[in-house]
Amino acid sequence: MSYLELKNATKHFGKLAALEDIDLRVEEGEILGIVGPNGSGKTTLINIVSGYYRPTRGEIFFNGKKISGLRPDQIAARGIIRTFQSNVLYEGATVVESMLISSYQQYRTNHWQSFFETRAWKDENERVVGRVIELIKLLDLLNDTFLPAEGLSHGYQRMLGIAMAMIAKPSLLLLDEPTTGMNHEEAMFVVDKIKKISEQGVTVILIEHNMKVLLDVATRVVVLNFGNKIAEGRPEEVMNQQEVIEAYLGTETI
Amino acid sequence: MMPFLDYKNVVPKTVIGLLVALIVILPVFTTNVITLSIFISSGIWAIAAMGFTLVLRTGQFSLGQGAFMALGGYTSAILTVKLGMPFWPSFFLAGIVSGIVALLVGSVVLRVGGTYFSIITLALAEVVRIIAQQWEPVTRGTRGLITSPPDPIVLGGLEINFATSTVPYFYFTVCLVAITALIFWQIGESRLGRSFAGIALNPVLAEHQGMHLMRYRVIAFTVAGVFTGFAGCLYAHFLTVITPYMLGLWQSIQIMIMSIVGGISSLAGGPIIGAILLYTFGIYLSRLEIYGIQQLLFGAAVVLVLLFLPKGTGLVDLWERFWRKVVWREEEYEPDTPDD
Repeated sequence: MSYLELKNATKHFGKLAALEDIDLRVEEGEILGIVGPNGSGKTTLINIVSGYYRPTRGEIFFNGKKISGLRPDQIAARGIIRTFQSNVLYEGATVVESMLISSYQQYRTNHWQSFFETRAWKDENERVVGRVIELIKLLDLLNDTFLPAEGLSHGYQRMLGIAMAMIAKPSLLLLDEPTTGMNHEEAMFVVDKIKKISEQGVTVILIEHNMKVLLDVATRVVVLNFGNKIAEGRPEEVMNQQEVIEAYLGTETI
Repeated sequence: MMPFLDYKNVVPKTVIGLLVALIVILPVFTTNVITLSIFISSGIWAIAAMGFTLVLRTGQFSLGQGAFMALGGYTSAILTVKLGMPFWPSFFLAGIVSGIVALLVGSVVLRVGGTYFSIITLALAEVVRIIAQQWEPVTRGTRGLITSPPDPIVLGGLEINFATSTVPYFYFTVCLVAITALIFWQIGESRLGRSFAGIALNPVLAEHQGMHLMRYRVIAFTVAGVFTGFAGCLYAHFLTVITPYMLGLWQSIQIMIMSIVGGISSLAGGPIIGAILLYTFGIYLSRLEIYGIQQLLFGAAVVLVLLFLPKGTGLVDLWERFWRKVVWREEEYEPDTPDD
């Protein structure tokens, strides 16, 4: 059994089929790219895996255990962490505060130990703060550590989103268009960081609008169109398939 | 070389410490019942306001904290008057009963959260009042229950008698406020405080990072319920009477106003400052004998605080700003606007 497996996953909004019978397997350690034009169901796919929506039909398995139907926090506790397409932040918190709030799953000690400030908690807290600083450095947020998160520029807010997901202890990271609103140079910077994240032993599912970004980073690509999977394979192969080109550019009608 | 002293941190804290010490040794200067009872009542309201602030920390706006004071007060009154139980066990039972009600109501109502939570807690305050009013055989209806002061305690030959002096009440209140403040402060500093901040600032994001929203909302509501119950019990026994009108809707709103005017950025300091100032102010206003003036001016106080203190931070933040701006004359730190 694969690391993450979707069986006939379907999501309907009323009569609209956002996802139709999607079968998907993700292996441990890979960077899977998911592409598709607007409205093809990419974000819905992340939403049903992370528990934001329940699938209308079908099942999702993670590590051999069924996760469809669980609450988002239960799914997060199993190690599936997502980012959001828009900049979803803790408004009013600074960068480091946001990171500390997000570090929730890093702790093994319980709330009582934290309340009474036991030795074990202090040690663990020190370790977590170390990890926070490590991630702040990795994602280039060091200069903004004590600034309010909503005051950062768009690009840095995207980076903070990834940093917050990383401190939430993912074993599978779902990135929803991390390079949205960035130029090619900035996007390549993000790609570089995603590679580094993958090297830390995190499996990544990367949703991307921009095919060029995926070429560089993804080990495998899945193409969605109108809620259906239309292609799957290595990025270079998939990009040249007739169906994919049609989905992006439309059919020749002349 | 001089050892480094963080005077900007130490001096304001020392001043606060001296003020607190001054209040604690107040009975040395005066045992005037009126002066002491202002502080005792302020302390009781401060505990309730701390409870409100704790619930607010999870992003929920409870408009019925007065219900838990009434629950605590009535529980203790019924246990002591009707069942003849001594004060001390009934004091703890008052908190427990109030906490259990908070737990039960919270586990249902907090599922919806937000505005619905406010509306339902508002209704809860009225429901408790109406039950107290209508359940005549137990609560004696609008006539209320006449409670007795706590039993005297003998500590190493020293008899502490609540019936003859206000001073024991004063110290009991000071202890209760101190314990509540300490626990709430520590909750704010611990991981619980972080989780509360997370689910308040962005519930969707917090949930996707593994925080169970219901769990933390219910914890905050229950802890607040327990301590508000203690406050209500003390209130009923201090005034030696509890009637349905003592803890109605206005009292719930008053708790909210004290918390907001005092400042919600601090779990302990804000509510205490807010309660002392507003309670004293309210006593002064009630002497004017103008009907409704208290409600009017309390409302005005909230509006003023929300208008003139940025981001709804209350008076407690003025203290810090006073030291930074007026005493140390620091420049405002303006972070550079990031360039895109």
